[in-house]
Amino acid sequence: MSEMKYHNNFLREVEERVEEGHMVKMCMQCGVCSGSCPFGPHWAHPPQELFMMIRAGKREEVLSSDSMWMCTSCYQCIVRCPRKLPITHIMHGLAYLAKREGKVPKGQPTAQFGQMFWDNLTKTGRVNELKLSLSLYFKDGFGQGIKNAMAMQSVGLGLMKAGRLNPLEILGGHSIKDKSGFQAMLKKAREIEDTRRKLA
Amino acid sequence: MAEQKVAAYICQGCGLGDRLDTADLAKIAQKEGKVAFAKEHEFLCNADGVQLIKNDIAEGVTHVVIGACSRRAKTEAFSFPGVHVSRANLREGVIWVRPDSDEHRETTQEMAADYIRMSCAEAKRVNIPAGNPNHGGNKRILVVGGGMSGMTSALEASRAGYQVVLVEKSGELGGWANKLYKRIPFNEPFNGPQDTGVAEMAAAVQADGNITVYTNAVVSKTGGAPGRFAVEINHNGTPVAEEVGAIVQATGFTTYDTAKLPELGGGKSPNVVDQAGLEALMKAANGGAIKRPSDGGEVKNVVFVQCAGQRDDTGTHLPYCSGFCCATSVKQAMYFKDANPDVDTTVLYTDLRMPGNNEDFYRSAQNKGVTFSKGKVKSVEANGNQCKVAFHDLILNDENAAIADADLVVLATGQVPNAGTDIDAWTQAETESNNGQNAEAAQRAQELKVVSVLNLTYRQGPDVPQLKHGFADSHFICFPYETRRTGIYMAGPVRRPMDIAQATEDATGAAMKAIQAVENAAVGRAAHPRSGDLSFPSVRKEGCTQCKRCTVECPFGAIDEDEQRYPLFNEERCRRCGTCMGACPVRVISFENYSIDTVGSQIKSVDMPDEFDEKPRILILACENDAYPALDMAGMNRIEYNPFVRVVPVRCLGSVNLIFITDALNSGYDGVMLMGCKHGDDYQCHFVKGSEIANYRLSKVDDTLKSLNLETERVATYEVAITDIERVPKLINEYAAKIEEIGMNPFKGF
Amino acid sequence: MTEVVATNQTILVVGGGISGMTAALEAAECGKDVVLVEKNPVLGGRVSQLYRYFPKMCHPVCGLEINQRRIKMNPRIRVLTMAEVTEISGQKGDYTASVKISPRYVNENCTGCGDCAQAAETEIPDAYNYNLGKVKAAFLPSKMAHPQRYVVDPSVVGTPEGEKIKAACKYNAVDLEMKEETLQLKAGAIVWATGWKPYDAAKIQPYGYDRFSNVITNVEFERLADPHGPTGGKLLRPSDGKEAKNVAFIQCAGSRDENHLRHCSRFCCTASLKQTQYVREKFGDEASSTVYYIDIRAIDRFEDFYAKVRADQSVKLVKSKVAKIVQDPKSGDVVLHGVDTEGYHRYANSHDLVVLAVGMEPSVKGAGVPAEVAADASGFLIPGDVNGGIFGAGCATNALDVNRAVQSATASALRAIQVINKVASVEG
Repeated sequence: MSEMKYHNNFLREVEERVEEGHMVKMCMQCGVCSGSCPFGPHWAHPPQELFMMIRAGKREEVLSSDSMWMCTSCYQCIVRCPRKLPITHIMHGLAYLAKREGKVPKGQPTAQFGQMFWDNLTKTGRVNELKLSLSLYFKDGFGQGIKNAMAMQSVGLGLMKAGRLNPLEILGGHSIKDKSGFQAMLKKAREIEDTRRKLA
Repeated sequence: MAEQKVAAYICQGCGLGDRLDTADLAKIAQKEGKVAFAKEHEFLCNADGVQLIKNDIAEGVTHVVIGACSRRAKTEAFSFPGVHVSRANLREGVIWVRPDSDEHRETTQEMAADYIRMSCAEAKRVNIPAGNPNHGGNKRILVVGGGMSGMTSALEASRAGYQVVLVEKSGELGGWANKLYKRIPFNEPFNGPQDTGVAEMAAAVQADGNITVYTNAVVSKTGGAPGRFAVEINHNGTPVAEEVGAIVQATGFTTYDTAKLPELGGGKSPNVVDQAGLEALMKAANGGAIKRPSDGGEVKNVVFVQCAGQRDDTGTHLPYCSGFCCATSVKQAMYFKDANPDVDTTVLYTDLRMPGNNEDFYRSAQNKGVTFSKGKVKSVEANGNQCKVAFHDLILNDENAAIADADLVVLATGQVPNAGTDIDAWTQAETESNNGQNAEAAQRAQELKVVSVLNLTYRQGPDVPQLKHGFADSHFICFPYETRRTGIYMAGPVRRPMDIAQATEDATGAAMKAIQAVENAAVGRAAHPRSGDLSFPSVRKEGCTQCKRCTVECPFGAIDEDEQRYPLFNEERCRRCGTCMGACPVRVISFENYSIDTVGSQIKSVDMPDEFDEKPRILILACENDAYPALDMAGMNRIEYNPFVRVVPVRCLGSVNLIFITDALNSGYDGVMLMGCKHGDDYQCHFVKGSEIANYRLSKVDDTLKSLNLETERVATYEVAITDIERVPKLINEYAAKIEEIGMNPFKGF
Repeated sequence: MTEVVATNQTILVVGGGISGMTAALEAAECGKDVVLVEKNPVLGGRVSQLYRYFPKMCHPVCGLEINQRRIKMNPRIRVLTMAEVTEISGQKGDYTASVKISPRYVNENCTGCGDCAQAAETEIPDAYNYNLGKVKAAFLPSKMAHPQRYVVDPSVVGTPEGEKIKAACKYNAVDLEMKEETLQLKAGAIVWATGWKPYDAAKIQPYGYDRFSNVITNVEFERLADPHGPTGGKLLRPSDGKEAKNVAFIQCAGSRDENHLRHCSRFCCTASLKQTQYVREKFGDEASSTVYYIDIRAIDRFEDFYAKVRADQSVKLVKSKVAKIVQDPKSGDVVLHGVDTEGYHRYANSHDLVVLAVGMEPSVKGAGVPAEVAADASGFLIPGDVNGGIFGAGCATNALDVNRAVQSATASALRAIQVINKVASVEG
């Protein structure tokens, strides 16, 4: 038997710690978001159900769900929501909270890619596309990486020919001028966010 | 009264002149219809034609027969004050339902000729209603119940200049509203509970010079009729007599007893209350925080259980939805949230019912953090100072969902109407008691009567008949203020479960109807649906056998009994449906403009071909409100039907006396079709019981027919709706074929 | 020139639907003088376009017949059709209203014989049937029409066809010279009962009302079910005339939606439940209805009706706001996509026809009163006496079912009478 408490603790937490989380309570469970999502069939919990789970206090289940990681930001749900909930934003906010709370399901590809992108970007202040692609291809080991790279070969070559991908980027690549200033900025931003959303 | 002078006018317009021999019709009116004179006119409804009639009226014509279109067409043009008009329906009823060809000319002409004969016969027997000289003229209004509904009715009537007597059972005005901390908002922005305004309203009532208030008072006896109700009020044990013209009953509701809901914790824990209980706690807290009733502990978690003992399909509790309780729970959850946003408030509902702009109130509650879960509550169990609410979460599909630590559980129970005696049950008990012979039944009748609100001295019982679930609502969608007791109107939750906003609007409408009732009564005019009719029923006492059918069958309880047990007509209560006239086995009841004779003479005036003519005659008695318009519209659509039918509109099938049928068969009609409204639970009869009573009476006709050696098919009853435009001609044609099959009436020519 | 006698003791009722008719009748039967102004050529309003009422399943024209008879018999009510109030000046107890009367091109000589319609050739959209069918350019708006007088459409005025129509009338009832006129009417009080209009379904993009022929509205469905409607009462879907035995009803099509109508329109749940019974009535056990809803708002005694419908095997209820609709161009079938939120079940259900339960919008913002009045954000008039001597009635004040609209109209009649009686006591 599941002893759910239906207390609002988690809802309050979401309101405080999730971007646009204060709108979760406005959901009236019509389900139009769930039906509108193009990735819907691949979710364990569609948005409206996630919102109900939040209200039911199912913290663990919500944060460890992979559902919010499936959002592709198509905005269909926002457009159709009769209560004007910014569902896309809430999904991303929930994903972020899950990440910060260390609840992301192991091997969740969107989460993984997000981390790679972040790491790649924050190192130099610029996205090193070549390295990002390679790290993505090789995330599951060398053999799989070669396969992935071969499969994407023609795309890569095409980009190179068009001057959109510089092979020399592998040697470190370009970066912004004031890297340390940029790092400081990120640190400050994180501090602000942590304080505001009590994420420390 | 001026001497009767009947004139007939035959119109030649709309093709009547081409299709019919109007000169022949005029001749028939004069020779057979015995009218003073008959005129033809090429276009009777135009200014010239109407003027022709007006001139003749100025010269002494009192009764006009118009052979033209249906009575439903050109009604205003052919209305002449103080003059009776009989309309022979030659257009919609004859030429539009018959093919335009030489071979049909004869039967078409016969149809028209009969309608002229019928109208002449009717006109000659109609008296111009002189109005009842004995009507009551009291224009004061009695309002029973001093809650929001009753006070509103009283104030609104007073504002229109009418005097009001307000009777309130308790010691003070205000009713349930007195017990509320705040009410649901009426207007934008719908963002929170509002002051009830009950104190201000009560003060306004007390200060109003037009309103006499009796508190600690009940109505102990009500006799009379609209315009002259004699009311006895028991005021603090002292009888007071008041005369009033109309009554508004605003006796409100009682909450459903939570003790009947032990499975929801009702009566099991002080921490389980109903919505009224929560209002009481809130009032006691007086703006402060509500403490947990069991121990005065802090309330951190409140659960609202919607539909508690309502929408019940097991037959145990209330089957209906009270409509107001969703918004009330929202309001009450706001009490907590407004005081302390940290209190958890959960509303468990199956359908959240907040229609109209209350949707905004729902949004406001969500915005304040009230949580709504769609779930079916299975049980509420007390556990120390907390309760466990177990429910099936319908969204998360969790059958074992539970809120284990509710400090307070509010059961949203429903409204139970205070409508007084259940007349149907009482009548049943009275009948069974057989004048006190059956002691058990007599006792039951007495118990049913004890709770009476109005204590009417009406023969049909002490209160207004209820519709369903104990509410005394109207059965009519278009006419929500219809009741079966003329001049008595329901206001507020006694009619239907409702909130204050609806109740006060309803009470204003009820005051309107009460005012209209006194104005009508003051001039002896009928109320809806025959509004304006000045006729009234009269009984020839010397012929009466005291069979009491009229007193039992009157749908409006208009007929009492006098000391000698003769029917005593209360004309102001009468709606002129004629059910009494239809009921009377000795035919002593009549109206000036509608009687056994006005209908019977039409039936008998038809020219009856003999057996060998192969021209049967079929009489149709059609309800004037539904079946007759359907026939008319069949004509407008040019749908043909059998030329051997003759249609007589009747006010209601309830007014059809069996003599019409026996007369018809005796005078040679081969069949009789009766067309009335749907009866049963979803009846559509505008006189409530007319079609049902007719159906019952006619169920006995078969025996009569058999005793006459006639086929039972010779009399057929149909439920016809106004939309049966295609169906009615079909019914007629099928029936005509049937009659052809069984052959002519053997009584023809006798 | 139309002649109307009106004074400060006259009540002006604007709108000749069931609310306006009720307000006019209740006041007139109390002995008050009433001018009833209706924009359309006939009285009756939207109620006259319904096939049946919930919960009794009776026919609205039955009550209309009574009300029309009451009006015909009551000399205190003056009815002006094709008339609109364009301006109101003055104050409580002393208003002047400008009433614009559009030409009907048919005068009071009309006998309703229909010869003009015989002569007409042009066909115009049939407004009575929500333009689902056509009528001749000389037409009687409905069989229940009151006044029972034909109308000539302006499109044929000034054409040879117009002359032919005129010539066909033996009674000089067709008057093609009729001009628009404006009357100035006095009134002590005004009852504003201009009713509602169905929300424009085309604005709900994912439902494709403007793209898919087999997506219709609830008011249109009434016309399909009605024997007087364009299909003679057969439930035939627009794309191919196939019988629509499997019908979907989508609740809150526009209502309870901040992108469309904020408010709940109240009547649509019960109306859809009623309409499932039309499908049942026409097809018996072959019928199949699915109602997609958020909350079924069948309050008070309507719960009985809801229970009855729920027990009907042909009716399914799905708690879901449908996400989108696609019509298969080949089969004409419509597929509804969404999620049943009770336990999360994704569906793609195919139906013969979709009925959108569109909501009520007050006829125009602020209910269209050409004066300063208090209205809510949805445009409904604030009820009661906040607008001086102008009293909202019926659906001009709120989303109401018929019964409640009539209650509201009855209440507004009293509010108007209160003003009139005050005027009378001063004027003596």
